[in-house]
Amino acid sequence: MANLLSLKRRIRTAGNVAKTTHAMQTIAVSKLKKAQNATVAGRPYVEKLLSVSQNVLSSMDSKYTHEYMKKNNNNKSLVIIFSPDKGLCGGLITNLIREILNYDSQNKDTIYLTVGKKTETAVANLSKELIASFKFGTILPTFDMVLPIVKIIDEYFLGQKVGNVKIISTNFINVFSQKPKIINVLPIEVPKLESASFTLFEPGPEKLLPPLLRHLLEMTIYQHLLESYASEQGARMVAMQKATDNALEITEDLKLEYNKGRQEKITNEILDIGSAYFTYVYE
Amino acid sequence: MNLLLEIITPEKVIYKDEVDEVVVPTVNGEIAILPNHISLLTQVNPGEMIVKKGTNQQYLAITGGFLEVQSNKISILAEHAIKAQDIEVARAMEAKKRAEKVMSEKSTDNELRLAQAEMIKAILELKVATRHKRR
Repeated sequence: MANLLSLKRRIRTAGNVAKTTHAMQTIAVSKLKKAQNATVAGRPYVEKLLSVSQNVLSSMDSKYTHEYMKKNNNNKSLVIIFSPDKGLCGGLITNLIREILNYDSQNKDTIYLTVGKKTETAVANLSKELIASFKFGTILPTFDMVLPIVKIIDEYFLGQKVGNVKIISTNFINVFSQKPKIINVLPIEVPKLESASFTLFEPGPEKLLPPLLRHLLEMTIYQHLLESYASEQGARMVAMQKATDNALEITEDLKLEYNKGRQEKITNEILDIGSAYFTYVYE
Repeated sequence: MNLLLEIITPEKVIYKDEVDEVVVPTVNGEIAILPNHISLLTQVNPGEMIVKKGTNQQYLAITGGFLEVQSNKISILAEHAIKAQDIEVARAMEAKKRAEKVMSEKSTDNELRLAQAEMIKAILELKVATRHKRR
């Protein structure tokens, strides 16, 4: 009897879990759609920006370099990590942290900046310098999130406190596949075009390049923020779908067990009554 | 002679079509681009740009960005661009008011910068929208 009651309770619990995870899945689906659009739409812009910078550089004197492109002698690197604020998104965070640990074991001279709560503690445990940590938020990242990050980058890179800047983030390949990736951000490497056609610059290339590179830096960071966000939503959607399926499966199994138990109880009762009756009749 | 125009913003590709003439405000003043223009790279100023195709004239509000012309292909990278008929006057007014409020209050540097950008955008949209409707 007690067994049946506890089974009933477990069925209800599994049902509630399924309801919750299904709701989370639905939310992730709607957020994913927005995120995916923004991510995919942003890619041509960044690509074009890079090709324009390439064009400007190719037609300039090879001696000219911008501060963002200069290599300095500092071997220290600044690594910026983008991760979600919230868990429940499958293996995404685990994979990301594995990538960070892997990187950290190979590159000792590193300072960190994190965006997103989930990797903050993992990075703090590395006993390396963590210069700043921002929240990622649970909505589509806005462009103003980039500004404080760029400010810090400027301070450290242009102040020659670090020699290069990298991003570790999750790349959005498609809904079912997201991969942690290390991206070199600074110094900006722009491959020169072989055949630079004659191009008119208004104002001169020296004046055009700085705002162009600055914008490129901002947009690159923003693009990776978007990729990271889209990855999070995609991973969460898939994880929650699996969780819902599992919960429903458990409910089915428990229901079967419960019905069997109920049937058994009824059979036993009938047997009881029957045997009592026959004892009475034959006495 | 075909001139291909492409306007790309971080949100989406706003415009992609063959056109006859494009008039854009740049840091060195307003320029018109016709087919067979020399390769050019310049910085775009916030303002109104005109795209001419046949007898049809299309007006757009554009905030700062970059413009590249290469073998009859114009690419404009803009932070924000919108076609005149897509501008929602009420929303632009509201945005302007909101920005004004933020600017009049004590705000941090970042907020101020964003409000300023928002304000420029809103004023620009309103300007282009009203001028476009008068025509």
